[in-house]
Amino acid sequence: MTSLSRRAFVTAATATLLAGCGGNGTTPAANSAPQQGSSTPSGKPSAQTGAKKVHALARSVPVTLRVPAIGVDTPVMKLGLASDGTVQVPPIAAHDRAGWYRHSPTPGQTGPSVILGHVTVGAYGDGVFRHLARLRKGDRIEAGLENGTTATFTVTAVRTVAKADFPSDEVYGNVDRPELRLITCGGTRTGTGYLDNVIVFAALTAGSP
Amino acid sequence: MRRTVLSAMALACGAVLASTLPAFAAGASASPTRTPSASASAAPTATRAPTPAPTAEPTRSASAAPSAEPTVAPSQVAEVPSGAPDTGVQPTSKSSGDLTTGLVGGGAAALVVGGGAFVVVRRRRATGV
Repeated sequence: MTSLSRRAFVTAATATLLAGCGGNGTTPAANSAPQQGSSTPSGKPSAQTGAKKVHALARSVPVTLRVPAIGVDTPVMKLGLASDGTVQVPPIAAHDRAGWYRHSPTPGQTGPSVILGHVTVGAYGDGVFRHLARLRKGDRIEAGLENGTTATFTVTAVRTVAKADFPSDEVYGNVDRPELRLITCGGTRTGTGYLDNVIVFAALTAGSP
Repeated sequence: MRRTVLSAMALACGAVLASTLPAFAAGASASPTRTPSASASAAPTATRAPTPAPTAEPTRSASAAPSAEPTVAPSQVAEVPSGAPDTGVQPTSKSSGDLTTGLVGGGAAALVVGGGAFVVVRRRRATGV
């Protein structure tokens, strides 16, 4: 009986030793592989401030825009350049709508897609982007595309800037992921109009058909 | 008796552990390098072949990277507009309309009040009160 227990103890001790050695042998390999694998992907997104990487969508013109946080649900028209080189804006009409700047990427493509809307439309009252400045970081924006896809963006920043210091580079400059800019007027009113622009910066977080 | 057996077992386990750990540690790293070198003369050629390749690749990639970057430069926005967008037409027509109607109404009210006062004063003077 005692010899049996000794044998059992010896067997258990040997098995424990072997298991311990085997475990040590496998863990470094298991640890090193993810480190190597994760080092290369994490190196690239680090430039994007850790944002979740979402694949860019195919080019398709936006036809609708929804911003649930401020009750916006509007069709989207195409806008170009005015004769003076400024961006065109939607017409002053009773049923105001947003407009996509057609020289910018479509929503979901890599680059800054630009959508503009009025804050007020003269005698017709509030514009489609009347409450754009109320958006906060993390709010959702959905752009419905012509091909049936919905590009979902998440607000990353809301800025009110003086028109005299409009940050063209930040709005129209190259970026390494699909982003969206919503632009309207804001700030103090004067006899000639508004002194500021409200700019919402957003990044693509999902694209669903 | 048991103590001696158990202590002997502990010593044996310690010895096995001490011997196996370095063996495993060395085996993991040494086995790939030793086997090719011991296998044949092909191993050195294999080791020599990769060495020029990595040295050549970084120089190519390093030289290609700067030349590729300027090609990425074209703007994602084909035509960058000038200035700030004018996306707010003030509700001036309504407010100015309200303002003018307010002014007109105020003026009319002042005229009515002034006229009434004038009439009252004239009547009082006429009646001699």
